[in-house]
Amino acid sequence: MDHGDNPVSWLVDAAGSGNERAWQEIVDRYAPLLASVIGRFRLTPAERQDIAQTVWLRLVEHLGSLREPRALPMWIITTGRRECMRCLSEQRRAVPRDPLDPSWLTTPAEEAEPAGELMRAERHEALLAGLAELPSRQRDLLLLLMEDPPLSYAQISERTGIAPGSIGPTRARALERLRHCAVVRYHVAER
Amino acid sequence: MDVTQDPRDDDQEILDDLSEALREAAPLAGMLAEYGRGAYAWRTVDQDLLLASLTFDSSLEPVPERHSEPGESRVLTFTAAPLSLELEVMPGHVVGQIVPPGPGEIRVETAEGVTLTVEADDIGFFDLPHVPSGPVRLRCDTPVARLVTDWIRL
Repeated sequence: MDHGDNPVSWLVDAAGSGNERAWQEIVDRYAPLLASVIGRFRLTPAERQDIAQTVWLRLVEHLGSLREPRALPMWIITTGRRECMRCLSEQRRAVPRDPLDPSWLTTPAEEAEPAGELMRAERHEALLAGLAELPSRQRDLLLLLMEDPPLSYAQISERTGIAPGSIGPTRARALERLRHCAVVRYHVAER
Repeated sequence: MDVTQDPRDDDQEILDDLSEALREAAPLAGMLAEYGRGAYAWRTVDQDLLLASLTFDSSLEPVPERHSEPGESRVLTFTAAPLSLELEVMPGHVVGQIVPPGPGEIRVETAEGVTLTVEADDIGFFDLPHVPSGPVRLRCDTPVARLVTDWIRL
């Protein structure tokens, strides 16, 4: 499915008015971002499942009320992170605390990640959010370019229908756009 | 990332970073996508049903101000106009209040399709003797309006 320059706005509108295929594409595009958010927290597999299910279920009902469909990645990051934080706060409440040891007053995020790791994780989130909102042709191409083991341009051309000579320029345009999205999101996330 | 680099080198670097991000997310992403696909079946198509968003959750308040203790209850507020719901979640037990106070029927739905129904009394108070695990949402029918809350884990 490709719908011009702004696939996410189209997908959010379509899924919000009953198009299930549009929803499936939202899920495919944003599952890596949600996984990256949830994967940063020390949670059990069962907790991760519950959190993911809660985020998706809630998103289904919020499709119509996202004021700006392009706000979707921030919605996913914020909702996912909040649910994880809550789960951690539940874990700590279940464990009796030593009142003489104030170390448990730090927040889960401070405890979980040193600054370098936090920046790396936020950069990854920004890049995954950027990838998710590329037009299908550019997104498909980047996904194929990242295959391991690498595919030849001939193989990529066969799968995408992009002429071998156009792969380089399409890649450059896709990355330019990704960089723009990612940098914007990265700075937004910093505030 | 060194922004002073030649943009060509920067292209490969950004692709490598993205590739690493995708690789790390991939195992969990596959599982999460399955849950995502199933979620659409729960889409509400009833135009008259108010969506009450979670607007307050005491468990997300900063820890030092909360003086959290083991076994402490959690307070949740779901807001819509003209009807809201407040919940107090205690270990193994949930009580709630319809706002503004008044009678109504409360139904608790799980993502497995299980439903539990209780009646709120004349001043809108209700009691859920059993707390389902996993995501749930509450439907509330009153003479004033009908609402469904955000999905939440209690």
